[in-house]
Amino acid sequence: MNNHPLRKSFQKGLVFGILMVFMVLIGFHVIAATLASKLFGANVLRGAIPEIRFMTYIHVLFGIWAGWSASGRTGRTSNRIFQGLVTGLTAGSFIALFDLIMNYLIQTGTDVRWYLSALSFENMDYFLLNLGQMGTIVHLGIYTATGLAGSALAVFIRSEAVQHGWQNLKSNISTFITRINETLPPFVRKYGKYIFYLIVLAVLFILPAQWGSYWNYVVGMVGLYIIAGIGLNIIVGLSGQLSLGYAAFFAMGAYSVGLINAPNPHHLMWGFWPALVIGIIVAVASAVVLGLPIMRLRGDYLAIVTLGFGEIIRIMLKSDLLINFTGGPHGIHDIHGPKLFGKPFTSDVDYVYLIFVGVALSIFLYDRLQDSRTGRAWLAIKEDPIAAQATGVNLQKYKLLALCIGAAFAGLAGGIFSARNQFTGPNDHTMMVSINFLCIIVVGGLNSILGIILGAFALKGLPEILREVENYRLLAFGALLIIMMLGRPNGLWPSSRPLIEKGDCSQIEENKTDEGGKNA
Amino acid sequence: MNSEKKSKPLLKQRNLFKIIRPIFGVLVALFLIWRLYLVFIVQNQYGPETWTRLLISGLIIGGVYSLIAIGYTLVYGILLMINFAHGEVMMIGTFAGYFVFEAAKSINVPSAGNPEMVFANAFPALSILIAFIVGMTAAAISGYFLEKIAYRPLRKAPRLIPLISAIGASIFLQNAAQLLFSPKTRDYANPEVMSRGNGWKFLINGSQVTLTYTGVFTFILSILLMIGLFTLVRKTRLGKAMRAVAMDKNTAALMGIDVDQTISNTFIISGALAGAAGVMWGLHNGLVYYFVGFLPGIKAFTAAVLGGVGNIPGAMLGGMLLGLVESIGPTALGISYQLKDVIAFVILIVILIFKPSGILGEVLSEEKI
Repeated sequence: MNNHPLRKSFQKGLVFGILMVFMVLIGFHVIAATLASKLFGANVLRGAIPEIRFMTYIHVLFGIWAGWSASGRTGRTSNRIFQGLVTGLTAGSFIALFDLIMNYLIQTGTDVRWYLSALSFENMDYFLLNLGQMGTIVHLGIYTATGLAGSALAVFIRSEAVQHGWQNLKSNISTFITRINETLPPFVRKYGKYIFYLIVLAVLFILPAQWGSYWNYVVGMVGLYIIAGIGLNIIVGLSGQLSLGYAAFFAMGAYSVGLINAPNPHHLMWGFWPALVIGIIVAVASAVVLGLPIMRLRGDYLAIVTLGFGEIIRIMLKSDLLINFTGGPHGIHDIHGPKLFGKPFTSDVDYVYLIFVGVALSIFLYDRLQDSRTGRAWLAIKEDPIAAQATGVNLQKYKLLALCIGAAFAGLAGGIFSARNQFTGPNDHTMMVSINFLCIIVVGGLNSILGIILGAFALKGLPEILREVENYRLLAFGALLIIMMLGRPNGLWPSSRPLIEKGDCSQIEENKTDEGGKNA
Repeated sequence: MNSEKKSKPLLKQRNLFKIIRPIFGVLVALFLIWRLYLVFIVQNQYGPETWTRLLISGLIIGGVYSLIAIGYTLVYGILLMINFAHGEVMMIGTFAGYFVFEAAKSINVPSAGNPEMVFANAFPALSILIAFIVGMTAAAISGYFLEKIAYRPLRKAPRLIPLISAIGASIFLQNAAQLLFSPKTRDYANPEVMSRGNGWKFLINGSQVTLTYTGVFTFILSILLMIGLFTLVRKTRLGKAMRAVAMDKNTAALMGIDVDQTISNTFIISGALAGAAGVMWGLHNGLVYYFVGFLPGIKAFTAAVLGGVGNIPGAMLGGMLLGLVESIGPTALGISYQLKDVIAFVILIVILIFKPSGILGEVLSEEKI
């Protein structure tokens, strides 16, 4: 009877132990402690090792987390606490085994950094809290105790009394908010939405001038990703074609602006605005060239073809074949910025305004497109291509249209991108960039503007701000994608309309398959 | 009257989409003929020795592609999902083999003639065998856990979701390897007998052509593994179960097949093949770093599509063809060797445009097409 939950908590302890050992192997424990010390206000230089107590905090927090997750939601209280104890003990034992190996390495003075680059002596000593052999026992003690504490905490927080109090608090707050709402004058209530928009606009107008250039850089980056994300969302979210080569269209815009408006290699210097328009046109033209022959393909084939297209474009840009035309692997330098009414764009502030205008424009266009006849045709194609065709939607035309409009957005974003950086090279347009775009819209939530904005901030803005974790950014990114897909496949901020429709459909489907075979 | 008027533009539209493909095909064919004419008739600067060299290297690399492509095709045939992280599974195999060889190099086995003798040189066959076993096991285990953690909970989700999850797994594994082993490129420490460049040398047309030991070994081993896999799928109970699950999961479950276990086994087998391919890659090409699995992975998928997804002989044929084209293509078409990746992707696009089901045709489960 007790066998099954115990085995589960044993497994959980093992998972947490492996997780901790993995973190040590990649050297993340030092970074985590640094972040913790920053939270407490200590000033740690980059690369320096923070105080010992912060490592202890990390151990304690990790142990509590393990205990918390081990304690189930139902069952007898003593059982649940016991499960936490087992998990803590297992994790502690696993880590203690690892400690023994580390101690051996330290005592024999074996340097393994050639193979495991993060496992330096300082890092190992720090993980062992500078206690040497004693650290092993201390770890075992810490994890057992904190596993127990974590499960006790979980039992307490999930107990009925606390939950009840929490519900009460929530309902109190919501009644408070509605009461405030009622006291507002009717004018405000009616136009509140527009007032809110105005305030947002005003804030967006004032803020860039106040921020430092770093913030403007980060926000501009996020803005560019929002523009491109909206474009990709038209292709993936609305018309349901998975594209993994979106960076190719981005590159078209960036390189057009670069080639037309830089002294090298062509010295055309036609100015930024015509170059931007040409960039958009080139992006759309490439979408037509790519799209016309491949419109008949099934979903994942389309994905792999677009991936191939993106790689072809990148390799061509990099190759010696086009070195006289595109500058080869060195890219294009000294791209001149735009001029508006005779005033050249000099600082990041100007570009942030330009990007804001671009974002507003793309949101507006997207909004109009989504509810138009075209947008509904796209959604129909996405839901069921055969049914859409039967109702008179020209599949190929609308799919191609989606690809072209999406490419136009990418061209716009790419053009501004290269002008703002004053440089563009083949490494700005790798497959990782395409995947970044895709991740932004999927993590944020397909077909939801707020989701895309949120996704762009989460995936592009946060890593820029948290510079310590720079090396671990992509790792976290990959893990986040898996976790998101497992936990919240509809994104951080799911869109409302298709979810309701699809929700109904999937329920019907599920019932059907359930009848078919429960074992499948 | 009215209806005729309306139907006319519709027809025109269809025609536009229909003539695009032949036009594209003619353009591609003309380009090929022009380049081949230039290289073979006008310039004609390469003798048979060059072509032999390219043929050999193409066959060797083709064998490796075939092994990876089989993994893609097995998984795609059953789950209709591009296992994007398959290249990273191969990378894990390469690293595991690397560590085995490093260990074999550091163990001293003093013998009478040579007190400095190390294990790798004293018992080259044994150390290579251990490297392959360890590499295949590590890759198989990672394939198993990959499926269990990242794909199994998403089996009923819309197709985009597992693909994104696979992309996430690929990014995660790549960066985990980068952080664990640092981004530097390392040399694979082959046993001395098998060092790269060693081989049978013979003369063609007065110039020397080398048939390297690593290359021959790689080619033979990949053929053996393919034969083994083919027998496994055709003759054993497990293979029967795999084919049944690929055809129809629900019915297979009704016939008493453990579908989850069979899918796990598929991932284990494809992981083991990728691991073997990874160790071969290391032995033959000699470099190992965290990004090593990415391009072979993408190209092997191309190979799988080329031969017909879901079709195991197709994957073998596709891998060989892709290896040959990639090796001979740049020279035969007279373009820079930098662009060999472009050739692979162009082949992919052309195949998908003209024959999306591949050379030997797709074999996919009926429920999802």
